[in-house]
Amino acid sequence: MDEEPERAKRWEGGYERTWEVLKEDESGSLKATVEEILFQSKRKRVIESHGQVRLGMMRHLYVVIDCSRSMEDQDLKPNRLTSTLKLMEAFVEEYFDQNPISQVGIIMTKNKRAEKLTDLAGNPKKHITALQKAVDSVCVGEPSLYNSLSLAVQTLKHMPGHTSREILIILSSLTTCDPANIYELIKTLKSLKVRVSVIGLSAEVRVCTVLTRETGGSYHVILDESHFKELLMLHVKPPPSSSASECSLIRMGQCTDGFMSNINLTLKPMFSTTLSPSVSCGPGLSLGGYFCPQCHAKYTELPVECKVCGLTLVSAPHLARSFHHLFPLDAFTEIPEEEHHGDRFCQACQGELKDKSVFMCPSCHSVFCVECDLFIHDSLHCCPCCIHNQSGP
Amino acid sequence: MKLNIEGLLVYFPYDYIYPEQYSYMLELKRTLDAKGHGVLEMPSGTGKTISLLSLIVAYQRAFPLEVTKLIYCSRTVPEIEKVVEELRKLMEFYSKETGETNNFLALALSSRKNLCIHPEILHANIVVYSYHYLLDPKIADLVSKELAKKSVVVFDEAHNIDNVCIDSMSVNITRRTLDRCQNNVDTLQNTIQKIKETDAAKLREEYRRLVDGLKEASVARETDIYLSNPVLPDEILQEAVPGTIRTAEHFVGFLRRFLEYLKSRLRVQHVVQESTPQFLKDIFDKVCIDRKPLRFCAERLQSLLRTLEIADIADFSAVTLISNFATLVSTYSQGFTIIIEPFEDRTPTIANPVLHFSCMDPSIAIKPVFQRFQSVVITSGTLSPLDIYPRILDFRPVTMASFTMTLARTCLCPLIVGRGNDQVALSSKFETREDFAVIRNYGNLLLEMSAVVPDGIVAFFTSYVYMENIVASWYEQGILENIQRNKLIFIETQDAAETSMALEKYQEACENGRGAILLSVARGKVSEGIDFVHHFGRAVIMFGVPYVYTQSRILKARLEYLRDQFQIRENDFLTFDAMRHAAQCVGRAIRGKTDYGLMIFADKRYARADKRGKLPRWIQEHITDGSLNLTVDETVQLSKHFLRQMAQPFRQEDQLGLSLLTLEQLQSEEMLKKITQIAHQT
Repeated sequence: MDEEPERAKRWEGGYERTWEVLKEDESGSLKATVEEILFQSKRKRVIESHGQVRLGMMRHLYVVIDCSRSMEDQDLKPNRLTSTLKLMEAFVEEYFDQNPISQVGIIMTKNKRAEKLTDLAGNPKKHITALQKAVDSVCVGEPSLYNSLSLAVQTLKHMPGHTSREILIILSSLTTCDPANIYELIKTLKSLKVRVSVIGLSAEVRVCTVLTRETGGSYHVILDESHFKELLMLHVKPPPSSSASECSLIRMGQCTDGFMSNINLTLKPMFSTTLSPSVSCGPGLSLGGYFCPQCHAKYTELPVECKVCGLTLVSAPHLARSFHHLFPLDAFTEIPEEEHHGDRFCQACQGELKDKSVFMCPSCHSVFCVECDLFIHDSLHCCPCCIHNQSGP
Repeated sequence: MKLNIEGLLVYFPYDYIYPEQYSYMLELKRTLDAKGHGVLEMPSGTGKTISLLSLIVAYQRAFPLEVTKLIYCSRTVPEIEKVVEELRKLMEFYSKETGETNNFLALALSSRKNLCIHPEILHANIVVYSYHYLLDPKIADLVSKELAKKSVVVFDEAHNIDNVCIDSMSVNITRRTLDRCQNNVDTLQNTIQKIKETDAAKLREEYRRLVDGLKEASVARETDIYLSNPVLPDEILQEAVPGTIRTAEHFVGFLRRFLEYLKSRLRVQHVVQESTPQFLKDIFDKVCIDRKPLRFCAERLQSLLRTLEIADIADFSAVTLISNFATLVSTYSQGFTIIIEPFEDRTPTIANPVLHFSCMDPSIAIKPVFQRFQSVVITSGTLSPLDIYPRILDFRPVTMASFTMTLARTCLCPLIVGRGNDQVALSSKFETREDFAVIRNYGNLLLEMSAVVPDGIVAFFTSYVYMENIVASWYEQGILENIQRNKLIFIETQDAAETSMALEKYQEACENGRGAILLSVARGKVSEGIDFVHHFGRAVIMFGVPYVYTQSRILKARLEYLRDQFQIRENDFLTFDAMRHAAQCVGRAIRGKTDYGLMIFADKRYARADKRGKLPRWIQEHITDGSLNLTVDETVQLSKHFLRQMAQPFRQEDQLGLSLLTLEQLQSEEMLKKITQIAHQT
């Protein structure tokens, strides 16, 4: 009986791995651990993402969230649904941060049906409120891949050709209840150039493998909560647009800021032109705001499509944030630890370099640890040492 | 790539090679060098077929005088087709590499529609066909008797070879057989009558030939042209056909008498079991049939059919069967038993008398093969324990090796479930078979697994009866209904059409994401011939240990014989037989290195060393102490973890250097050292 408590921990999973990764396998190098493979794929992702030139900058993404019975499973804490919704909030924030001129919609599927939680829209607040409300929803029945996909396609197929059409499915259940042959729908999706990606919460399901392979999406299954988050964040980055998609110039208005413009020195409260209830603050009086350069309608939030003249309104930082994807930072070269003779400390976090390989910026030759390498490529998008050298004397 | 296997240049038609394939070829070459027999076990999906073909073809080219022919025996038509496909690839590679058109002739005998009778086929370098062509004396005589001595014979998927041998030598006679035989004899008589009126010379010619005896056959055997036929024993070749059955009418009369005797024997009210000498004595006492004419029965019938120029031999299967039986029963005094049962055990009220002439010694059928051919290789994915095959087939191998599967990730997960969540011991043993708690816990296991395993699950039961009982009980307890919320349920039945329908629908459900469970029976059609690759079988659950039905009289007789003749204890053989079937069942899930699957043994007896030790090495090495005697909950947790790990992206690069090698990697010192550890000699 003594070994029972210790054993109980092993079945918990999730918590044991973090330190067991470092242990060498009993049978030596014969069996590479799955973690090793995962690490390699993580590295690969960083490297791979630099080959692309054309990216779909204006994205239309539908996220399908499974709300079936299996979402009540407690292997993610406190349960799968709560955990998923919480991560989704973070995802929506991050998504709009990195893709300011894109849109998201949310679909929930349960009880063999699919219904929209939110329509395609560019405002994070609305989605987040909806997600927060959804925590209390009951998880019943089975999901329906077919119904969710066709619901999403109904809207996506009307989106213009130069924008990307994407669907991301978060699937917890291992089964799907479909009213018709899903393989027919997959063909339709393929012809409409809709990219479908799936994040599985339990195991690899065949139909998802086919679905993602056919439509050019990605398919991942989570290991634990942190891995889930990582996988979700993968979808923040815009996918490479297919060569078949249209290119077009889009007219955009750089908005004049009400606060900064010299003309409006005396701040007068004005009505915002936003009449649609889709913006959470709604129409009302406010001091700040943005004016459309074409028709001078006032908006409190950007980006938005002008209700009066139909111009897409963005601000300079939005465009800048979208464009960093097009000019990515070069991948750092990986050097085995023993071959590296310079600094023993990471230039970014100043921590000691302990891993078996270090990473060097090809332009300024500073070295970084794995974690900082990932951080620089995923969030900063520029090498801190290069920037430092430029601004220095 | 071109490999150097101990000095032999082997062309291998792929760019990468598995380490175990290299190791396998090494062992195979040693077997051929020694001109002996071998027993080799290598897991399915590791490219056994191509390794075999490339090495033997290379050997044939290097030493054309040592090995003239490869005879590759497989079990089913799809398997034969697969072999031919691989062979084609190999040949293409040869002509590409060497630049010369190749003069290799390969021949596959699969069915009558593909049959070719061109004489050139006798000189084929490679012959691929079914086991029966070599083992079944009736067919072997037609197809295989002219194969050269310097051939290499390979039996693939040979884990059941002893049963094939036994079946090929056993005869079952029912009332229907006798009725059809009666008709055959009538037809024969009429034909003889007709020929006598038109062409009496033909019959006289036959008579003269029979007086000369079977000299032809005898000369052929001495000069080593033919494969000896176990039905045609050596002694009778020396003698002429006895006078009593020399003329056609006499022979037909003789058959009639024999038939009447058999009919009388089938009119029994109780079970009779006797040895062949007892049977011969009885037949002599009752109808005065001597042993000698009986022995010539099969040969005499063949001669008569030839003389009468009867084209459609298939119509005469019944009388051929009876005459074969006559020859066998009078030839072998040992290794056979005769059991006459008036009814089946399950239906004691319905009279259905059967005479089982049962072979108990598989070595009788395979002996000519071992004696004649210079190397015989027995290979399969599951041959453990290796040492039992040489014992029951009575031969001495020069190499016996078991290979493991080198894996870049542990893609198989054998778990032994010993207890339910309420700590009730799970077992299919006879005493607890009806136990309500055990059945409920089995149901619970399936229910829980159906919720965590994606796509397809295959569940095996020990017998149809056991499956019916359990499923009925699950239905009453409402377990089936709960399972159906997660997956559809399909059941294998004894009806072949029904089963193939169920299989088709099962695969469809796995394909479109609905998920399904297939309930089937170990030793059934599903457990042997059908592969559940990838999503068609993410988990196999083996409910209980698939012991053979021990009350059968034929089995009892065989066990007794094994104990007396080969010193194999009943229990050892039964366990061996159960474990090889269990291994076959669970092995259905893994069909290659990119595949993955759970293997769940739901019986606490699997944890015992005597059971576990009899599993193939490639399964055994993944059973750790942590996977023994689990509860249902623990199993579910482990499975969840395993399935998530396996769902992570897995590419070819991850395998390279570990379980998949390029030529350079193969040649490194370190790898060669590792390779020697893969083969496990016994």
